[in-house]
Amino acid sequence: MRKLLLVMVLLLGVMLSATTIEVLWMGWPQDQVMQLVNAFKEETGIDVDIQLVPFGQLFQTIEVRLAAGDGTPDVYIVDGPNTASYAARGYLLPLDEHFSDEEMSAWFDASIEEGSYHGSFYSVPYGTSSAGIFYNKAIFEEYGVPFLPETIEERLTWEEVAEIAKKLTKDTNGDGLTDIWGLVIEQIDRPYLIFPMVQSLGAKVLSDDGLESQGYITSDEFVEGTTFYWKLFNEWKVSPQGLSDSAISREYFGTGRAAMMLGNEWNLRRMLQYPDLAYGLSPFPYFEGGVAVTPTGSWHVGINSKTKKLEEALAFTKFITGKEAVITWHKLNGIAPARSDVYEALPEVFDNPMWQLFVKEMETTAVPRPRTPGYSQYELMLREAFNSIHYGADPRSTLEEVAARIDRELRKYR
Amino acid sequence: MFRNNKVAWLFVLPALTFLLVFKIWPIGVSVIESLTMTSFTGTKSFVGFENYEYLFKHDPVFWRSFSVTLFYSIIVNPLIVLTSLLMALLLNSSHFFTKFFRTVFFLPAAISFAVVSVIWMIVLDPYNGLANSFLTMFGFKPQPFFASPDQALWGLILLNVWRSSGYWMMYFLAGLQNIPETLYEAAEIDGASTLRKTFKITLPLLTRTISFVLVANTAFNFLSFAPVYIITKGGPMGSTNLLMYESYKSAFVNLDMGRASAITTILLGIILVFSFFELRFTRARFEY
Amino acid sequence: MILFAVLGIISLFFLIPLIWVVASALRPASPLYEYANPLTWKSFVPTKPTLENFVHIFVNLNFGRALMNSLFVSVSTILLTVIVASMAGFALAKFEFRGKAALFTIVLITFMVPFESIVIPLYILIKQLRIDNTYWALILPGVANGLAIFLFRQFFSEVPSEIMEAARIDGASWFRIYWRIVLPLSVPAIVTVIVMVFMFQWNSLFWPLVATHSSRFEVVQVAIAAHRSTENTSWANLFSSAIAGSLPPVILFLFLQKYFVRGISGTGLKG
Repeated sequence: MRKLLLVMVLLLGVMLSATTIEVLWMGWPQDQVMQLVNAFKEETGIDVDIQLVPFGQLFQTIEVRLAAGDGTPDVYIVDGPNTASYAARGYLLPLDEHFSDEEMSAWFDASIEEGSYHGSFYSVPYGTSSAGIFYNKAIFEEYGVPFLPETIEERLTWEEVAEIAKKLTKDTNGDGLTDIWGLVIEQIDRPYLIFPMVQSLGAKVLSDDGLESQGYITSDEFVEGTTFYWKLFNEWKVSPQGLSDSAISREYFGTGRAAMMLGNEWNLRRMLQYPDLAYGLSPFPYFEGGVAVTPTGSWHVGINSKTKKLEEALAFTKFITGKEAVITWHKLNGIAPARSDVYEALPEVFDNPMWQLFVKEMETTAVPRPRTPGYSQYELMLREAFNSIHYGADPRSTLEEVAARIDRELRKYR
Repeated sequence: MFRNNKVAWLFVLPALTFLLVFKIWPIGVSVIESLTMTSFTGTKSFVGFENYEYLFKHDPVFWRSFSVTLFYSIIVNPLIVLTSLLMALLLNSSHFFTKFFRTVFFLPAAISFAVVSVIWMIVLDPYNGLANSFLTMFGFKPQPFFASPDQALWGLILLNVWRSSGYWMMYFLAGLQNIPETLYEAAEIDGASTLRKTFKITLPLLTRTISFVLVANTAFNFLSFAPVYIITKGGPMGSTNLLMYESYKSAFVNLDMGRASAITTILLGIILVFSFFELRFTRARFEY
Repeated sequence: MILFAVLGIISLFFLIPLIWVVASALRPASPLYEYANPLTWKSFVPTKPTLENFVHIFVNLNFGRALMNSLFVSVSTILLTVIVASMAGFALAKFEFRGKAALFTIVLITFMVPFESIVIPLYILIKQLRIDNTYWALILPGVANGLAIFLFRQFFSEVPSEIMEAARIDGASWFRIYWRIVLPLSVPAIVTVIVMVFMFQWNSLFWPLVATHSSRFEVVQVAIAAHRSTENTSWANLFSSAIAGSLPPVILFLFLQKYFVRGISGTGLKG
């Protein structure tokens, strides 16, 4: 199969060697991305004009470029949940007829779901994600708290985590300020990490048609989960308010200013920056009596619906999401691949119990974010709500108010 | 003033061409956009003032943002103009250290707002930032800064003053060069104090520069939002939700160009009103 | 002297965060807050200074190319803008003509509208003009600078009209008056506009991302911003590229200091 794909790509390359495609990509370390791009150019002879856009400007740049409607960029990076939005507006090419069943079987089901909209496949999975509780073994030892369980069967409940966090929130020099926080949330107000909390209690975060939040984010279960989140910052004060950047959260955990961090799988690579840190990984908690739910989903690759270079665009897309490229990319970057064959191909990495845990979560407990063409506004408004809540605003009234505003935005998609 | 239509227009033509093509045309499109609503499939329909009506009548977020923005402007604009003017006056000399200090004051301006925002996000970190480290060293209580709805906006003001004073100082320095030395010499012979010289000679002759800086700075501050985008995201609790950030969200997240353009058109109106009064104020006060 | 002391204290306010950033850039990559909390002298003076962060961005990440691009775009824009804007400013300052008020209002409006609101129509426009993904797309929109025109207008209005009248009587053309009399008397204004336009282009981030997409056009702010993302932020690269990227404007300002000279005083017309 791999040989066949290679031959196809080479043949295509021979046929199309004079063409250039435009690709819009995220500004990951230049030297890393260019390695992959150059490998593609060598293999196929197709030239790639790749633009690396910094993350902070990525979505706006994509919007402006797509607004011109001329078929460029030919290929662009798509944040998984935004697939619905681009697809609904006709910016993405439906890909069902271009990918065989065999090719599709390489990817996780949750990833394919994330890349689909109204039954069609629109964006090819590139990465995925998972999350768990990282904990600082040295701090646990110092205060005599037993290490957290690290197997999926012994998953902790949120109630237990809260208790441990309380025990490990310390003012070490007696100046009235917390020096060690019990729990830090890597992306402090992003729905990505908070959805699993409320979903564990059985809440649904959006209607099935993706167009209504009233009744869902205002349900008792959602409010209950959000209230627990609120308490972390305002009642038990085990989490610091106002961490405005995920790098800062990682810094807190990595330098021993937090005992635990609820964070993503990429930390297995990021924590290498802190060589003195001895840490362990515990599964994403759930609520007592509830269901285990983990977050998932990450970057996908999409083809412009108006592209004038379909063959080349497909060649690039299949290459960059293919097994070899993803192996190289994981080695360079450390993020979770969305294809299972990569995990099998790199036992030296993935036989590690922490990765094993993440893979198991992705296979069994992962729930992708809701699909709605209005995802970006839904997420931003919800994020602002969570932000206010973590600063102390009342969960129920804040959620009620934001549900009304979200639904007004979503109404235009009916 | 010279009267000559033809010559004047010839001088103006190149600039006007650039302005019309690259500014006025897109601005026109944007204003028209504020009178439309776009469905998600891309079909635009003309809705008149509906976007504005919704903003004024049914959008409490807009009003909150409006008042935050006004409060911010009323404080930050005079503050920056005053600090940069003061710095320029202090450096309007030719001591051996003048060049050095001018450059030092200018340094923050050489860094883009985005990077300045990241720097201040770190400096004002509530638990581990430089600022709190300094405060606690001198026995003060550490402050939440951007983590507090009462302090966050002041954090933005501080950041802005830090970054912008040196920049506008440069304009004042340029304006000060036009004041003839002879006037100061004459005043000194009459026994005028530094303060008197400043108020009777310097400031009146600096009028045009002052009005320039006032108007330009006002516009800049209404239209920039990098620190909000990078640090506070409008929070906590909307206390830093500037109008320009609201517009930006409408355009690029909510994909509601109509509302976004309506907000920026309103901003344009506000800035024009402010500028009108600023130009009036400086002319009346200082011209003689 | 008191002046020196006052200036010294004010400069501390500006310098402290900057020195910390420079020190951080000169340190081997280390945890962000290690030298912020607690604060010691080591926070501001690296114990093991190294240039490795700077070397890395130039050698591995092509930062030099970004600097060159930004320099080229900035200088080109300056050349065009100074000519075009000073001509318009001259007309607005010294002439009465039909349509003047409308024109002045247009000039003001152009800098009172945020870039974000015009980016999409502007992008579509440059695509239609077929200048997208070229240096022109970065330079030409930058010449449409109402603020520069406004500045020249303010400064030119202080040039005594008597000189111009005298020259007219002598038979000089208006262009000659503008070029040979007004401009030389307005060196501080020109210098200020040079810095203004340079910094405007130097600091632009969003427009270059939209207007060009080939990596050969990468500008300095894009290169700096690339080091931040949710998944992976490199403080060392961010600080070193921010410092390196801030040097050209500082050098320009330093260099142009000597042109902040008394321009009009020596004309012998006053008093």
